[in-house]
Amino acid sequence: MAALSEEVLLVVKRVRQRKQDGTLYLMTERIAWGPEGKDRFTVSHLYADIRCQKISPDGKSKIQLQLVLHTGESTTFHFANESTALKDRDAAKDLLQQLLPKFKKKANKQLEEKNKMLQEDPVLFQLYKDLVVSQVISAEEFWASRLKLSSVEHSLSNNSKQEVGISAAFLADIRPQTDGCNGLKYNLTSDIIESIFKTYPAVKQKYAENVPHNLTEKEFWTRFFQSHYFHRDRINTGQQDIFSECAKQDEKGLKSMVVQGVKNPMVDLLSLEDKTLDEGYGSLTVGPNSSKTVKENSNSAIIKRFNHHSAMVLAAGLRKVDAPSDQASETSSTDGNSRDSDFFQPPIKKVKLQEAIEYEDLQNGSGPKTIALNLKKSDRYSHGPVPLQSHHYSTSQDIINSVNCIQEEISCYKPCLTRVMPSSAASSAITALSPGGLLMQAGTQQAVSQLVPTDVQSELKHLYTAAGELLRHFWSCFPVNTPFLEEKVVKMRSNLERFQSTKLRPFQEKIQREYLSTNVRLLLLVNL
Amino acid sequence: MASEDEVSLLVIVVDVNPIWWGQQAQREPEFNLSKCLDAVMVMANSHLVMTRTNKLAIIASHCQESHFLYPNKHWKAGDVAGDEVSSGSGDGKYELLSVANDLVAEEIRNLMARTQVKGHQTDTLLAGSLAKALCYIHRVSKELEAGQDMKSRILVVKAAEDCALQYMNFMNVIFAAQKQNILIDACVLDSDSGLLQQACDITGGLYLKIPQKTALAQYLLWVFLPDADQRSQLVLPPSVHVDYRAACFCHRNLIEIGYVCSVCLSIFCNFSPICTTCETAFKIPLPQMMKPKKKKLKTAN
Repeated sequence: MAALSEEVLLVVKRVRQRKQDGTLYLMTERIAWGPEGKDRFTVSHLYADIRCQKISPDGKSKIQLQLVLHTGESTTFHFANESTALKDRDAAKDLLQQLLPKFKKKANKQLEEKNKMLQEDPVLFQLYKDLVVSQVISAEEFWASRLKLSSVEHSLSNNSKQEVGISAAFLADIRPQTDGCNGLKYNLTSDIIESIFKTYPAVKQKYAENVPHNLTEKEFWTRFFQSHYFHRDRINTGQQDIFSECAKQDEKGLKSMVVQGVKNPMVDLLSLEDKTLDEGYGSLTVGPNSSKTVKENSNSAIIKRFNHHSAMVLAAGLRKVDAPSDQASETSSTDGNSRDSDFFQPPIKKVKLQEAIEYEDLQNGSGPKTIALNLKKSDRYSHGPVPLQSHHYSTSQDIINSVNCIQEEISCYKPCLTRVMPSSAASSAITALSPGGLLMQAGTQQAVSQLVPTDVQSELKHLYTAAGELLRHFWSCFPVNTPFLEEKVVKMRSNLERFQSTKLRPFQEKIQREYLSTNVRLLLLVNL
Repeated sequence: MASEDEVSLLVIVVDVNPIWWGQQAQREPEFNLSKCLDAVMVMANSHLVMTRTNKLAIIASHCQESHFLYPNKHWKAGDVAGDEVSSGSGDGKYELLSVANDLVAEEIRNLMARTQVKGHQTDTLLAGSLAKALCYIHRVSKELEAGQDMKSRILVVKAAEDCALQYMNFMNVIFAAQKQNILIDACVLDSDSGLLQQACDITGGLYLKIPQKTALAQYLLWVFLPDADQRSQLVLPPSVHVDYRAACFCHRNLIEIGYVCSVCLSIFCNFSPICTTCETAFKIPLPQMMKPKKKKLKTAN
């Protein structure tokens, strides 16, 4: 049962739906239809759910109104009252036309948001598909938690949504098509109409004045394209033309634009003038040219119109249609029609000057406020991870004794390098260092003698003894006192070199090829 | 055979802390500073003999100064003949070696002679010596001829214990060496040194604590004489496991898990609501106390 507190805006009797007679009710938030005789509504749609309405063409016998919902369903109402069917339907249509846009935005917005969210986040989309499409949870539950989060962000971003600008070629894009017999057909879409209205508010005004009272839309546009306002040469504007006023207004706007000039004091337009003399020869100021030929006039008219058109397109993009209050923007006066441009001139100039003078990075940046670190016992850091051990406490007497002792000892120090250590100590050290020895416990346990096969070992031994013999001969020649020794030295040297190339090198290469980690230290020593 | 373009510089830093060595001479007379210096000289000579282009420097790390034993500031490798005529010990030794040995001996004698007894300076200035070694390496690398390549390493022969006060300087030296690709090797005579273990681990050098001091020369020749490229071919003592645990600021204990102040990054072993270093108060949310639910008692009436 319909809520009785709803306000009924329109009641239409004798409306058939699905071959049943009934009454159509239009309320503030929904449209409903109940069959004759019953007091119950069988069909009820919220305006928010209705995507659009359609009417049957004029020529048809049946006068119908169709409502298409967002879900794709459609409901058709047939106005069956003989006399007033058309009027009824048009009344219903107009009311719907007024009401639907109000609710449309809300519904669309929500849907759009949802769609956007799903598109942006593939994970969310997958989740949605898995859960809602397969009916695990309902769509409302799914969106209940999500929409709250995003509504805050979206409200912020929606306010700063950028509006789509106007293409500067929108007028040129309306390509007329020849109709066959000396006529031109212009295709106007609603986008183009919107662009024209945005760019030329004067035309919009004319449209509001004349349509639909004086002219139909079609006639208006026909006149528009016919008028010389649209065409190139606007010289003959004396004719009876609704657009002659527009032309005059444009001229006025253009003039005021030129007078105001550019707001930015840094831009110097006059430097772009042509100098008639070559560079380096000074400049010749051209006096104002008063005589104008007809050709120049038409050229200047075209140029003027181009400039004006560009200025209007730019201004249209900046002008915010929704905001009734004029927001203070620097370029609000580019269309030449706003009155309060003069108020903003001095502050704008100052701002521009400031921008040109100051660089942000060069100023003393006020960094984030920091709190100073105060350390009470900073010497703790310099103490390493050496646990406090009890030092050997040396009495001062000990110290004195030690120092005296060492001084005595070193005062008669003479290096005696032939008796550095006893051989027993040396051999025990060697065993300790060999694999398996005292110091090598963690390393490889195998002795080298086990890693290297015996034939290689024997060859190594032979080479070692041979090299040792040669070297002994070599070094015994020093110091070279006699020419005999000198000869011998030279001979020994060549012998050594020969030995190296013939015996040592191949052996070394053989070992390197076959064994990667062997003890070649001896070879290195021998290589000297 | 190394080419003329490869220069290998070895800097030996010898710990000559007179107090420790004096006490050592009384403990073990068969191994004293003279023997140690002999062993080091053997190693130095071997290094110079290996390749003609090898360079050497020896720094004595004393408790009052770090002194270059070799090369001398006033002596250049060129003028060998001009100096002492009696330098040759007559055994046909390579002159560079004999001159070097004599120089080192003289320097150490002078160094010990001018030692003054000071009670509060008993620690070896090891960080300073290492820093001097790094500077010397840097200087030599700048004096190279065009096209020459230098690889350098530092060998530390350590006798006395670590000094905890030098920790920061030590770590700075280690990281500087790592950046310059300079190896730090350590041969430790007496007690293990955590700082040197870290140094060797970070720079890629070898750390060895020798069990027998008298065989020092053998250890030096076997383990520390080959340079970095050759070490990959040899079987050498494996690397030591380094203890990288941090010490807490309150007790200086080595801890594995601790609390770190987010403001000043000081480490504590126990939680305390106020950091004692920077005096920041910390709030840790306590777990919520659950109110016990009162059960409605059904009164049977």
